[in-house]
Amino acid sequence: MDKINLFKSTVLFLIFVSAVFLNSCSLDVEPRFNSNLEDVLNSPAGIESALNSIYGNLRSLEHYGRDMFAKSDALADGVRAIGNSGRLVAENNNQVNAHFSPAFWQKSYAAIGELNLILDQLEAGVEGATDAHLRQWEGEARFLRALYYFDLVKVYAYIPTAIYQPGVVDQGGIPMPLLAVRIADVAFLNEFPRASIQQVYIQITNDLIRSANILRNSGRRGVQYASDGAALALLSRVALYAGNWQLAADSANAALLSGVGQLLSGQEYVDGWATPVHPESFFEVRVQTPEESLGVNLSLQGTYNTLLDLENKNIRGGWGDLIPSLKVTGFFGLTPQQTGNPASDNNNWDVTRNEDIRSKLFTTGNDQKFARRQIESIKFMGKNGFAYGDNIPVIRASEMVLNRAEALFQLGRDAEALESLNQFKVSRGLDRVELFRQEILDEILEERFKEFAFEGQRFFDLKRYGLAIDKRSYLGPNAIVPFEDFRILAPIPTREVENNRNLNQNRGY
Amino acid sequence: MLLLLATVPTFGQTRVVRGQVFSKKDNQPISGASIILKGTAIGTATDFEGRYILQVTQESFTLVYSYFGYQPEEVYFGDDNLVDVYLVPLEEGEELLVVQPVEAKEEEDIEEEPITLQKDAARFKSPGDLIENIPFQSFDRAMQGRVAGLAVKAASGIPGGLVNARVRGVGSIFAGNEPLYIVDGVLINNISFSQFTQTNPLAFLNPNEIESIEVLKDAASTAIYGNQGANGVILVTTKKGKQGRARVELNAYAGETMPIKYLDLLDGPGWYAMRRDAFKNSEASIPEARALSNMGVLPDNWNQLSPAELDAIGLNLPTYDWQRQMMGNSMLHNYEMNVSGGTKSTTYYLSGSYHFSGSSFDPVDFERGTIRASIKQNIGKRISLEANANLASIAQNVPFSLDGSFLGNPAYASSLILRHNPIFNEDGSFNEQIGGLAGQNIAQVNAFNSGENNSRFGVGNVGLNYNIAKNLNYRGTAGVDYRDMEEFRFRDPRTPDGAEVNGRNAVASHLVERYMTHHTVDWTKRFDNSVLSIYAGYEFLMEERESKFSEVTGISTPTLNNLLSGATLVSMDSIWTGYRRQGAYLGVNYQLAEKYLFHVGSRVDGSSRFGRNFTYGIFPFVKLGWNISNEEGLKDSEFLSLLRLRASWGMSGNDQIGDFRAIGLFGPGNTYSGGQGLRPISFDNPNLRWETNETINLGLDFGFAEGKVTGSVDVYDRRTKDLLLNLPILWINRGENFLRNIGELRNRGIELEISTTNLQRGDFSWHSSLVFSYVKNEVTSLYNNLQVMPDNPRLAIGQPIGNPAFPGQQAPGAWYLAEYAGVNPATGRPMWWDANRNYTYLPGNGDRVYLGSNFPPYSGGFNNTFFIKGFELTTFFTYEFGALVSDGQYNFLRENGTRFTFNALRDVNDRSWTAPGDMTDIPRNFALSGGEAARSQIRNFGSASLLKGDFIRLAQVKLAYSFSTELLRNIGLQQARIYAQGINLWTLTDYPGYDPEFMGTGTGQIPIHKSYNIGIQLSF
Repeated sequence: MDKINLFKSTVLFLIFVSAVFLNSCSLDVEPRFNSNLEDVLNSPAGIESALNSIYGNLRSLEHYGRDMFAKSDALADGVRAIGNSGRLVAENNNQVNAHFSPAFWQKSYAAIGELNLILDQLEAGVEGATDAHLRQWEGEARFLRALYYFDLVKVYAYIPTAIYQPGVVDQGGIPMPLLAVRIADVAFLNEFPRASIQQVYIQITNDLIRSANILRNSGRRGVQYASDGAALALLSRVALYAGNWQLAADSANAALLSGVGQLLSGQEYVDGWATPVHPESFFEVRVQTPEESLGVNLSLQGTYNTLLDLENKNIRGGWGDLIPSLKVTGFFGLTPQQTGNPASDNNNWDVTRNEDIRSKLFTTGNDQKFARRQIESIKFMGKNGFAYGDNIPVIRASEMVLNRAEALFQLGRDAEALESLNQFKVSRGLDRVELFRQEILDEILEERFKEFAFEGQRFFDLKRYGLAIDKRSYLGPNAIVPFEDFRILAPIPTREVENNRNLNQNRGY
Repeated sequence: MLLLLATVPTFGQTRVVRGQVFSKKDNQPISGASIILKGTAIGTATDFEGRYILQVTQESFTLVYSYFGYQPEEVYFGDDNLVDVYLVPLEEGEELLVVQPVEAKEEEDIEEEPITLQKDAARFKSPGDLIENIPFQSFDRAMQGRVAGLAVKAASGIPGGLVNARVRGVGSIFAGNEPLYIVDGVLINNISFSQFTQTNPLAFLNPNEIESIEVLKDAASTAIYGNQGANGVILVTTKKGKQGRARVELNAYAGETMPIKYLDLLDGPGWYAMRRDAFKNSEASIPEARALSNMGVLPDNWNQLSPAELDAIGLNLPTYDWQRQMMGNSMLHNYEMNVSGGTKSTTYYLSGSYHFSGSSFDPVDFERGTIRASIKQNIGKRISLEANANLASIAQNVPFSLDGSFLGNPAYASSLILRHNPIFNEDGSFNEQIGGLAGQNIAQVNAFNSGENNSRFGVGNVGLNYNIAKNLNYRGTAGVDYRDMEEFRFRDPRTPDGAEVNGRNAVASHLVERYMTHHTVDWTKRFDNSVLSIYAGYEFLMEERESKFSEVTGISTPTLNNLLSGATLVSMDSIWTGYRRQGAYLGVNYQLAEKYLFHVGSRVDGSSRFGRNFTYGIFPFVKLGWNISNEEGLKDSEFLSLLRLRASWGMSGNDQIGDFRAIGLFGPGNTYSGGQGLRPISFDNPNLRWETNETINLGLDFGFAEGKVTGSVDVYDRRTKDLLLNLPILWINRGENFLRNIGELRNRGIELEISTTNLQRGDFSWHSSLVFSYVKNEVTSLYNNLQVMPDNPRLAIGQPIGNPAFPGQQAPGAWYLAEYAGVNPATGRPMWWDANRNYTYLPGNGDRVYLGSNFPPYSGGFNNTFFIKGFELTTFFTYEFGALVSDGQYNFLRENGTRFTFNALRDVNDRSWTAPGDMTDIPRNFALSGGEAARSQIRNFGSASLLKGDFIRLAQVKLAYSFSTELLRNIGLQQARIYAQGINLWTLTDYPGYDPEFMGTGTGQIPIHKSYNIGIQLSF
């Protein structure tokens, strides 16, 4: 054997093998159509996109897309479900388990988890982002986290101002994860118990105060995004729910001074409902494209209206599943009225109205395909230029005036409360009133009932004062849900209770 | 079988000789070498491993060993019964029978005795000719019943469709269960990816090109394949050129495919009568009119007709045969040619083939052309280069849908359409007024719709062998597996599904690429009494796949990729994915005194699919063997020719978990205010890793009765540890589910393979082989001490996990259902057992019991071959026992028209309960729900519709005649053979549906077909 040859060939061979090995020893493969978690959040565009998705999530059916308005109202006494499509009838009858759905819980917590990731990343810094960027994003993220937590806690827990038998059957607030979780095994092990109601409200309040503070100096992006005004307005509502009256009044004032939402009066107010962006809005959920609309079956327009076009009521639109209850038609003197001939033409029908300017937000509907030409709310009529596309006003200026009035009343400042209430009533075409003590509060709550009909506030207004849901006048003698009834709270999704040893289900479920 | 064995006569005076025939050139075994007892016609041929066994009734004798291209060798047998023979190759151009002295330089190379290492593993090796000319499109399907421990099932009757192959049970729930297929060293991606039909990537290889198939079953044998070995490894070696003059082979066959079964359905009047009685049972008014109305034939003046007149209309309805309109025979043909040969320095094999097969449902078919080239070149004495290239092009007409209850799907609706509906109008046009729920004229739908899948394959590798030094060899290969697939499916605007969108065309394309390289070094040395071999290797593989999908509507004529001509783009999507893996291994094999075998080794293997904490795994193995028959005292036993005990332990991994499952990803989220949205779609899962398979195997190879009985028995315990389970993440933690390596399951089994020579007298011989497998599959551990998976109670400790139909599906688990108790003879209502073993009409969730799974514990095959003069008769049976299946198509038929106005089976209808006292399993016919009927579960509830999947099938019967070589030599032929063959001609089963062999829901799937073909093989 030729030793030199062997040596030479062995060396050559080893070089060849090493070359192959070195060339191929990396096992790194990057996904191309999806992106790595860290990569996305460490870039300004990635943060913006991640925030977009969380804003967009508010548009989902289970949130402001429909349920936060329509299902809340169906549970309360302002609407009647007529079953054109069969939707929301069970909720209107307050059947057991006909309540906010598991998907509301799931999607809200998913958004909160994403916000926790974003806030964590903002703290660590984002490559290529300025301080102003970081503050803007943080303010928006905190506002969103507060909004999601507030909507969850008001649905699944009692409201601090009216807790049924606190400490006895009170199951507490809601689980409150605040830290970013990236690792599956960690997420699997996190079995959060329900934080107390107070803890949750403190957390929400802190997020909102921080949000309002850091957004004050940053440029506004429009009412579809969080702003200092939006944060203050939401803070006012949260404080009102928490019974923190001074904060509720102060933040309502501050919100009104922020210049974001403006209280309108008279016909201006009615016209506000016909513009894509409601001028009273502090924060709206934007529905920008037909793809983003929930469509004929599930959108607010489809749920509230059989009409597609106010100019021609003979074009059948959605299902018009929820119509004003007798209480609401009574507020505004609404009765169907034939205005021309023939009676079969839907355009020859309208409603009678009283002096309340808000009565103009109702008319008669369409009678085709099982519909029966009911009185309908026309707050959501596809204002964005396509059917079933309406921006959804989450907080409006009128609420600030009413919040202020209520908070001042609760602080014992009746005169100021009455002044605030009267300022509001005049803006809605009503006369000033002279009232004393409890009458003032009753009148404020009734004005809230009228003002936010079809906007989902009534259920929570009853809940925070411990009042029964009374639908006996139109659903029969048993249609009353006393505050003691377990159906006031929504059931926590079974999956969550079964897989979380520390989570108690709400009473009765 | 046992009876057959018992009747095998024994010959006390005979000798059994055995051994192995090798080529002196490269020390490789020669298969097919002929061994003749000198001066007689008695003889045999070597098997794939070059082994032979011959029984001779003489005290001493001479055997003549010959093989094409080699000098014949004569060996005198005195006392020795074990003789290995090394045939010397002929020089180029040398004529057979011319004896030349062996060159001196070749002597150098064989100064040492050739080294062969003995069998030490549970592996099966089959010569390719066992499956030769079986008219299947891919070799995996032809393995059914041939290998103990390998359960094979066609997923459907789509030619060239998916094949479900499971080595030793089902070893994973959430990861894949597909064996690793390696063709000439190329690791094949065998996932279909097709959107519109089933494509079997292994169909790129014409099964007739296969020289041998080897199945590695135990983890000790597959450990060397690291994290790809857990589900078994199937090694395919293709035919190669041999030194000698050019040899040309022609092979052609043609035949027909035929449906295995047409269902015996109710005719027009029969369905009417059944429906009328159902309305009567439901106490509905005017049952005659209601039944006619269901069928869409109620006359307008019906309320002026008496019940008797209405009855007469129903009972005189015509009957049309929709099944035979839609199903039928199709063509089967195959033509191929190869040329092979070589010189001392170059060998080559070139081939081309064409194959066509239809199915029972026109136009679903398979058409393939292949070209293959294999070349080996020696450079000097130390280096040789080789290249293998396979090119294939496959075209398949796609079905309406792969399965599913689509009314336009011929495989679904042809048995469900009410048969009084004419297929054609009197003027010959399609009848579009079809009464009943199956209201589409599927003949029309089938005629107008179209769709095609076109696949192109390039699979091959190049290799370098380098004899670095004495005993030290290097081999390196680089391979590619490339597949390019384009497909479309068109819904014609003249059909109901196309009409609403004015025509719909869906288009997809897929590009699958794999590149790999493999390097090994081995050193083998013989010592006085032992052989030591040490080897090491390195392997790298990368895969990329890109798929694009789009769909347009408003299109009147289809072509592939004609997106722009569609009026509306409905959807467009694309996927890119990929992964890389690499591993290195080391093994030591030591063999002492041809009696004791030790083989240990390990592989370190990593994959980009795994989490960052577990990129690499270690897969060790140990194998021990003891050749008892080589012990003194037994060595000369005439009765016992072989007795070898094997024991092994090993670990291998399962990496079929999908790409990018271990990293937290962002995917598309909600858009907002004109901006893009992104949201996290998964968590980081840094601990995600392979599932580990740990197998203990005990085996015994035996040969006795003078070699007339040979075989092996294996007992194994295959445990899957680090079993992936889908664990729930709370929604409050942004979660849904994630995979964690936490559970355990187990497959235990017995495998038996026996080959016998039952008779051998003169020109007549009869050989049998039996393959038997038993496997018990069970979940042994879940997480958090759970007995049952919370989200899927079918997965429970102690219960089988079932067999997932297709790659990417999770294992279905055991059947967990209320057990059917038959029909109450008093009322005719279906009953079930409740948890206390009482009858109930309304079983609840608490009444469910475990009832086995869809995986058959018993399966195998039984082959008999008879030779007489030039004739050869083969009968091959396959069998399966113990599976319980749900057949969606049968379930619809079993409803007997009670839920939908669908046709029904005559047998089911005849078994229906009609009067008190009837003992049957089919409830009374009932037409209206409500009342007491509404308080019963539906008739197919629970186990009522589960079917036993047991069958014994005559999978192959073949009669062949080989012309005698003397005769052929005169006309210039080397070999000539003609044959007639039938596939799946006869099945013994109680199965009431089309056929028990299918995977998936069964609803609307094309059933497998039978076929016959006649063929001719010539070689020059």
